[in-house]
Amino acid sequence: MTVMTKMKTFATAAGFAATLLVGGASMASAEEVTLTMAVPDWPPTRILKKFFDEQYKPKSGNTVKLEVDFIPWPDFYTRVNASLTSGEQKYNFIVSDSQWLGAFVEGGYFRKINDLLEADPEFMATFKTIHPNPLNAYSTYPHKTENYYGFPQFPDVLVNYGRQDILCHEEEQKNFQAKYSKKLPCTGEELDAMTWDDFRNVGEFFMRKKGDMLAGKPAEDDFYGISYQAGKGYDFSSMQINGFIWQMGGDTWDETKAPKGQAEGVVNSPEAVKALEKYLDMIQFMPPVAKTGTMDIFVSDQLFREGKVAMNIDWIGLGEASLAPDSKVKDKLVFGQMPGTMGADGKMIRWSNIGGQPFVLTTWTTDSQIKEAVDFVKWWLSSDIQHQFAAGGGQSAVKAVYEDPKYVTYRPWNRAWAPQLDWQKDVWHVPQFFELLTQQQDQFDLAITGKQDAKTTLDNIAKFQQDKLKESGLIE
Amino acid sequence: MTAVRTSHSAIALLDPSADNWKLAILVGIAATILAVLALPANATFWVVGAAVALVAAAFVVNAYRKRYYGGLLVAPAIAVLFVMNIFPLLWSLGLSFFAYQSNQQSIRFVGLNNYIKVLTNDIAAPANWDALINTGMFVVCTVAAQMITGFLLAMLFAKQFPLRKYLLILVLTPMMLSVVASGVFFTYYFDPTFGILSYAMGEITGQQFILMDNKAGAVTGIVFADAWMWSPFVMLLVLAGLVSVPKYLYEAAAIDRVSKWRQFWTITFPYIRGLLMLALLFRTIEAFKLYDLVYILIRGGQDTKTIAYLIAEIANEQNKTSEGAALSYVILFMVIVLTNLYLYLANRRNQGA
Repeated sequence: MTVMTKMKTFATAAGFAATLLVGGASMASAEEVTLTMAVPDWPPTRILKKFFDEQYKPKSGNTVKLEVDFIPWPDFYTRVNASLTSGEQKYNFIVSDSQWLGAFVEGGYFRKINDLLEADPEFMATFKTIHPNPLNAYSTYPHKTENYYGFPQFPDVLVNYGRQDILCHEEEQKNFQAKYSKKLPCTGEELDAMTWDDFRNVGEFFMRKKGDMLAGKPAEDDFYGISYQAGKGYDFSSMQINGFIWQMGGDTWDETKAPKGQAEGVVNSPEAVKALEKYLDMIQFMPPVAKTGTMDIFVSDQLFREGKVAMNIDWIGLGEASLAPDSKVKDKLVFGQMPGTMGADGKMIRWSNIGGQPFVLTTWTTDSQIKEAVDFVKWWLSSDIQHQFAAGGGQSAVKAVYEDPKYVTYRPWNRAWAPQLDWQKDVWHVPQFFELLTQQQDQFDLAITGKQDAKTTLDNIAKFQQDKLKESGLIE
Repeated sequence: MTAVRTSHSAIALLDPSADNWKLAILVGIAATILAVLALPANATFWVVGAAVALVAAAFVVNAYRKRYYGGLLVAPAIAVLFVMNIFPLLWSLGLSFFAYQSNQQSIRFVGLNNYIKVLTNDIAAPANWDALINTGMFVVCTVAAQMITGFLLAMLFAKQFPLRKYLLILVLTPMMLSVVASGVFFTYYFDPTFGILSYAMGEITGQQFILMDNKAGAVTGIVFADAWMWSPFVMLLVLAGLVSVPKYLYEAAAIDRVSKWRQFWTITFPYIRGLLMLALLFRTIEAFKLYDLVYILIRGGQDTKTIAYLIAEIANEQNKTSEGAALSYVILFMVIVLTNLYLYLANRRNQGA
């Protein structure tokens, strides 16, 4: 009796433990394969899910189910990070932000894909026709080596969203010409040719109070010149400030130069300080929410869609929303490249921080899941689907697709896409990136809200990065 | 007598009966040691789990045979508490003595280094102290605002007036909303372009009004939103006290022509004091954990990072698990000391009264 009881107790405990152990593993059968995916919630991933549901037929004949978790952008990193580090092994397939590669490769979560590419020369050939800048940003770790981890899902760059009805208005054109002795940019080509000084002038020029004349009518509400990201959350100021710094001859800490490359003296170089000052100087021409440090990419996008600003710099990924039926500016849009800086040789310097995300596979994904996932990615990167994606509001980094003359006709911002690709760089991919990012965002926030000047801000960032990276052995 | 007992328990120790909890503990310890020595960490975890379950089962059978039913009745609650609360607490306490990051596979014993770091490191410590001072400020401001508003609301609703029932439901609604929903509502409320607050202030002063462009404004905004959500909670508790005051006391006081002020302090207040203290305790403990509104409204900007915000940032976003655990324990220690101090003072007053 007593032995029986004891046996029972043990059996129950063991059974409980076994259930917990097995519960995590997937139960995929030969016929039905489920891919669980974590993606940020915005148009490019919604389109992905729609295409999959409507059009995708697996070559293998298996039934492939794609279970997608749509996670809001501001919490996307935290949620995915929590899932991966907790060891729940929930996701097979993740649309990862490019900077995350180092952290999650070193953690043993992201699977290297070189073997998958080498096993399929045709796929490798397609893969190699992706523009090198997005490819390096989305796939390689250590940065710019031939160790691949990701397939591009949605490539993205910053573009200039303009209000054509206001910019092209005769009265405004005349007044702008009189004030700045320069033509007020109005067409896409004119927007492309803008420097940051022109952008600043547009900002200053279009500051209007309620009741002031705006494009021939009294303004119904206060109107502001310009906007770009200046928020404290996630990377919502670094992505803009980096472009300023690179364009004006400064630099950020360069991971490809590790361990020789330094942070102190580079990050806070006089050029970088000047660039940050220029960035901060324009905040006065933005909607007042910028002064609270909460002007993230969604807030500036909303302000633009509500018709409160003349020009907004934002990611192409949000473009689709500006064309949506509830957008107040849907029929008044003009798009151009992000403003640049005129170099000493008279050529425009256009460095900008790349956006966009790769697909990555996780290390616990089974062989049958990998096979289906790779088949799906191949289908996704096939010319036909890439064209459809671009026509539906996405972008393509595959050379044959974006060089097709049809490409620029799909959406009004597509004309600003290909010319900017050569000028894209990315922020660090090292495992420490999130610590570097939060400290930097905190410091930039202090500058944006007027608590400290550009020099102090960059000095603080440089010192922190120097210490942190030295401690991690990335700076000698 | 003692000799008999010893020999009895010596036999019992090796007797493999289901209620022999001493043997179960021995087996558990032996299994744990063997597992730690021989098995990989993943398997060890489950072996230790099974050993704990075995000991627990032996205790349960023992209690059943000894007819100790009171213990049996609370056993499920204790089991849940252990799995959900005590075990993670002890686990994180253990982690705080190691160098461990949740996104890395290595782990190394470092003793008190994490504690030394959070208290003295020249980069980490100032941020921690700032966050602690902010937390203190929020505790004082939010709790004071809620206590005063809640108390006044309760005084109002203790009286009978038309539509009281419906107004009461309306006032209680904020407490039932999720913090995220209220937070998003207040971001629009405070927004300088779309928000009604800036619009109204703009109409009155003729100047552009931006609430959250300085620390005082940001703190006011957060305290206001927090008070809006939690004053009803204080009100409910106080209201319960107010309606429990017997009517005849007021009648007697009225006959004696006691002033309203005196009536309040000698009749009403003693009845609600205990409940006020309870509300104060609950709200203070909650206020120490303030994170959600700071995150939603301002993302910790304008120097409003609280200690809970900082811990979430360190432990969840930067994956510095053990450093976050150490900081959490420092705060836990402070909260325990403060709570005990408070209870001691409250008791002494009660005895004095």
